[in-house]
Amino acid sequence: MAGGSAISGLVGARVHRKEDRTILTGAGRYVDDVQERGMLHCHFLRSTVAHARITGIDVEAARGLEGVVRVFTGADMSAITEDLNFAQPIPGLHSPAYPAIAHDVVRYVGEPVALIVAESRYLAEDAAALIEVEYDLLDPVVSTTAGLADGAPQLFEDVPGNVVHADEQLFGDIEAAFAQADHVVTDSLDQHRWACNPMETRGGVATYDRGSGQLTYEASTQTTHTLRFLLAGWIRQPIHQLRVTANNIGGGFGLKFSIYREDVALCAAAKAIGGTVKWIEDRNEHLVAAGAAREEQLTLEAAVKADGTLLGLRVTMLLDAGAYPINPPATVYAGLVRTTLPGPYKLPAYQFSHKIVATNKASYISLRGPWAVETLVRERLMDKIASTCGISPVEVRRRNLITLDDQPTKMVTNVTLECVTAAETFEKMIGMVDLDEVRREQEAARAEGRLLGFGVGTFIEPAPGTQEFWAAVGFPFGAEPLRIRIEIDGKVTAFTPQTPHGQSHETTLSQLIGDELGVGMDDIRIVYGDTDATPFSMLGTGGSRAATMASGAAVYGARELRTRVLDIASHLLEASVDDLEIVDGIVSVKGAPGASVPLGQIAMGCWLAPDQMPEGTNTELEYVASYDGEGGGFSQASHACWVEIDQETGKVEVTRFLVVEDCGRMINPAVVEGQVVGGVAMGLGGMLLEHSAYDAEGQFLSATFMDYLMPSAPEVPEVEIEHLEFESDKVISSRGVGEGGTVLAPAALLNAIDDALAQVGRGRVMATPVTPTRMLELLGVIEKA
Amino acid sequence: MNNGNTTREITLTVNGRKRTVTIEVRRTLADFLREDLGLTATHLGCEHGVCGACTVIVDGATERSCTQLAVQADGREVTTVEGLNGPNGELHPVQEALRDHHSFQCGFCTPGFVMAIHGMVEEKKAGRPSPCSRAEIREELSGNICRCTGYQSIIDGAEAALAAGAGKES
Amino acid sequence: MKPAAFEYLSPTSIEEAVQALTDPDDGDTKVLAGGQSLVPLLSLRLAQPARIVDINRIPGLGEITESGGVLTIGTLVRQRSAEHSDVVRRACPLMAEALPHIGHTAIRNRGTVGGSIAHADPAAELPTVAACLDAELVARGPRGERVIPAAEFFTGFFTTALAEDEILTAVRIRSAAPGTGAAYEEVSRRHGDFAMAGVAAVVRLDGDVVAEARIAISGVDLVPVRAGKAEAALVGRVVDEPTLVAAAEAGVADLHPSADLHGSAPYRKHLAGVLIRKAVRTAAQRARESR
Repeated sequence: MAGGSAISGLVGARVHRKEDRTILTGAGRYVDDVQERGMLHCHFLRSTVAHARITGIDVEAARGLEGVVRVFTGADMSAITEDLNFAQPIPGLHSPAYPAIAHDVVRYVGEPVALIVAESRYLAEDAAALIEVEYDLLDPVVSTTAGLADGAPQLFEDVPGNVVHADEQLFGDIEAAFAQADHVVTDSLDQHRWACNPMETRGGVATYDRGSGQLTYEASTQTTHTLRFLLAGWIRQPIHQLRVTANNIGGGFGLKFSIYREDVALCAAAKAIGGTVKWIEDRNEHLVAAGAAREEQLTLEAAVKADGTLLGLRVTMLLDAGAYPINPPATVYAGLVRTTLPGPYKLPAYQFSHKIVATNKASYISLRGPWAVETLVRERLMDKIASTCGISPVEVRRRNLITLDDQPTKMVTNVTLECVTAAETFEKMIGMVDLDEVRREQEAARAEGRLLGFGVGTFIEPAPGTQEFWAAVGFPFGAEPLRIRIEIDGKVTAFTPQTPHGQSHETTLSQLIGDELGVGMDDIRIVYGDTDATPFSMLGTGGSRAATMASGAAVYGARELRTRVLDIASHLLEASVDDLEIVDGIVSVKGAPGASVPLGQIAMGCWLAPDQMPEGTNTELEYVASYDGEGGGFSQASHACWVEIDQETGKVEVTRFLVVEDCGRMINPAVVEGQVVGGVAMGLGGMLLEHSAYDAEGQFLSATFMDYLMPSAPEVPEVEIEHLEFESDKVISSRGVGEGGTVLAPAALLNAIDDALAQVGRGRVMATPVTPTRMLELLGVIEKA
Repeated sequence: MNNGNTTREITLTVNGRKRTVTIEVRRTLADFLREDLGLTATHLGCEHGVCGACTVIVDGATERSCTQLAVQADGREVTTVEGLNGPNGELHPVQEALRDHHSFQCGFCTPGFVMAIHGMVEEKKAGRPSPCSRAEIREELSGNICRCTGYQSIIDGAEAALAAGAGKES
Repeated sequence: MKPAAFEYLSPTSIEEAVQALTDPDDGDTKVLAGGQSLVPLLSLRLAQPARIVDINRIPGLGEITESGGVLTIGTLVRQRSAEHSDVVRRACPLMAEALPHIGHTAIRNRGTVGGSIAHADPAAELPTVAACLDAELVARGPRGERVIPAAEFFTGFFTTALAEDEILTAVRIRSAAPGTGAAYEEVSRRHGDFAMAGVAAVVRLDGDVVAEARIAISGVDLVPVRAGKAEAALVGRVVDEPTLVAAAEAGVADLHPSADLHGSAPYRKHLAGVLIRKAVRTAAQRARESR
């Protein structure tokens, strides 16, 4: 590539985040900060029962309340919207369409049954209290097994037997594997439902311009273009007349990747009223109705040789989908679990079957590494194989891990692995831990009546994954665009379809562009969150794609403009392109700083008088780059977790946590470490504290932050991080790192807890969360209630 | 004694500026600051006193603005994050320390943490018992929830802010 | 999550406040002190009083005094002020130790001692301290002042002996006698949460023998529970491990805690026993050290 890459050292440095001045001073614009003249406020009345036929709704008193502008029942809303329909041409998928506001049957506690638009949120809530809804109760389905039982209540006519999707896939000769096995090791896990809970809930501000017919939706979303694309049809708005914007976003974690019925109702209301309406989900609504994740039950059966070598694996999964489908379709979650589960291990044969079951709960949604249960059950299984074969958890992994020397190779799920360093991260981690000392400490502690545990785990993370990987999952991979412009004064503006919400893309993309173009961080602006300005992409920010995909688009875009600028400069400075460099926005001849021309001068010429620029040069200083990921790739990490279990209170304390991770070349180590620690904290919190719990009637039990326990600072350990920066020969050797902490930490934690339990002769954890009560039940200290 | 009513005129000082306003008595202080005064740095994360995103300083002490009524701030002095910056927008030393340690990600919980840490630094300057170790800082900040960071970087920043604050005092 | 409408009164004297509570009205009236429990209940619309009487403007309710061997804490004393008070630390070390368990700094800066007791959450720290120490709760109503012993004050789940027209004005506690030791132990899922169970213990030693023991348990019943049988199992004995085990067993024998998401009934009962042993052991140790 002409001109090569002028590294000015931004990439790889812990530069200050561009985002920080805004957020530290509170100057950000989160969606609830939006205030428009005449803006109206929305509140949803929600179902108080899990499953019922609506036999009547009386909104007259609410409509009559002073300050109430409009009340939409389900019927009112369905008259102006299409049902939400996420169906895709996937064989066997039953994806029922459903209205923005229920008017026939409610299927979970928290389902919207009316929308009130009023002059203030206070008044809207007053009006909601005046609405009478009559319910004819139906039996609820509150678990996968109940949903699959003979004679179970049916949620939808078009979801026979409550089975949203069922499938079985076979890879390799599974019968032969089990025929050759010295041991068959079985395991199971019942993972509980827990949730994303970004500190900013869902919400939006919709404005309909009665003059132009244009609708603008300022949303809290991870993906503006997908939101716009799906919304347009459902609210009957021509897509060219619909603009979706996003400014500061207070976290998403997968939740804000979908579009929800509240988005549809809100935008339709703005259109019907002809003005600006705002809806901000309160925390109570969020916990009850926004959806939750991770409710899966898996069984595993492994064929192994006496020395611990894996021969084959049979897995079944039941996934509790909740009532209504969202984006992506549930088959994607099953596909992710199925494809990723063999992980970085040599596995000759594999059988995976799943059933996705509809229940009377809020939707199953994406949560940071939505496939995470595959790593959790696999890493626990490896420990169980180790104990069955009488070898250590370290040894069983060593005997089965795919090393760099084995690559390229194919996973049994037909995904090529290359440059995967899970084994190397694992060895590096084990090298940092004195395993003998760990055991000595455990023995010494037991002598004092204290109980310590130690656990490890390793994994690969599709961040961004490969074309093959996503084809196996059944989800498009796609290329990532970025539009970049050198402005008339030499400053740089880049437009990305990424919708960052904490991932620091304004910083990292600026670092990459800065190094390529030889301009400073302050002279670059990253524009995101506006479908009128950014290139189209269906993906947005999610799936840990940005570090590779958005980075690649930024680098290729910047390089193309660099080529054009240097070509022009070589004429102006009468020097070879190879002899030029750009430093701090000035193009000069290397070693002859006097021979120089400012980038701004070239840009001004290009924009104002292109015909006067050197003949034959390309003076277009705006370019849309697209990056296909060069095949993509995987990140990997190994975790080690030390716990102390209080045998009197059942409390589990994580006393030390070590991460060795490899996401390739780090653009900004501080950003990488923030993602790793945050991810680990979320994974540990999910296992020990958090629970989106329902009772037997489908009532929701975790409706406040007093019940849904988010980890606070004292509950989170200090996380030690070691980096292994294995760089591939690709242009972009940076890979994603946002989800891995949350995916792997639960496995290392549960393995540590099981290790402690084994020392006192007790059985393993079979269901989560590991509450103090469950811990004392496992220890045999108290009776199971 | 005022007559029982659903609106009331109050006078309070917010970020050094005295204001007299008539408000609905059921309005929370947080809603009043955000919606009536446009001071949207104070965020609402739970509205029931658990997450700490709405932390402000009232008469010199950190308090939740979602668990008090605006009418109760009559005669009191309220400081929000908007009141911390220098006259030319310079970052406050607490904000500088948090920036230097890459403390935050999405920024939603951030103003609450900035105020809580500012309160800690001020208590230390005033000679009141204040946290020293990282574990003590974690405990002191347990009333503020962050979903992004796992807290480690926030503790780094708070530790530095406390050290810098103490330095200025001595 | 926005409060329903109510009428708001902010009396500037206790007489006016009582009058505000006495005035005929057509609905529920709530006293607002620190508001750390009440305002969230308003926002969740779990409480929808017709009238709120804010007592924060009443002077004289925010004092901490000690005289004649009695510690008096005004109802409006902020929990954080009590926590930092040398008088409280000396005269009521049990309360000083219990206070930091309440919520978080920003909550204690606003929350009041009297408010927590009058709210009567059975999992809360200050009602348990009051029960343990047989505090006297001073109430003012239209019929004047009356003093309610803690044993009669907590009448049920979030309910007290305060009449609808009465206001709690102060808490009186006998100052800790020489030779006593106190300890407060609790376990919650997270730092600052309401406890799954908590134990307040005070032990006075005569030589090595327990002369007086006071034990109260939070989170296991509709009200904070005095563990009379555990206290009896300690008096006249040396505090050694067998005695502690026996006291803990006696203390939990009659408990029938209810379950919730955070802890099963057997868990809470077990935990109460663990905490009795722990708190009494520490209290006895402190009693020995105080001599």
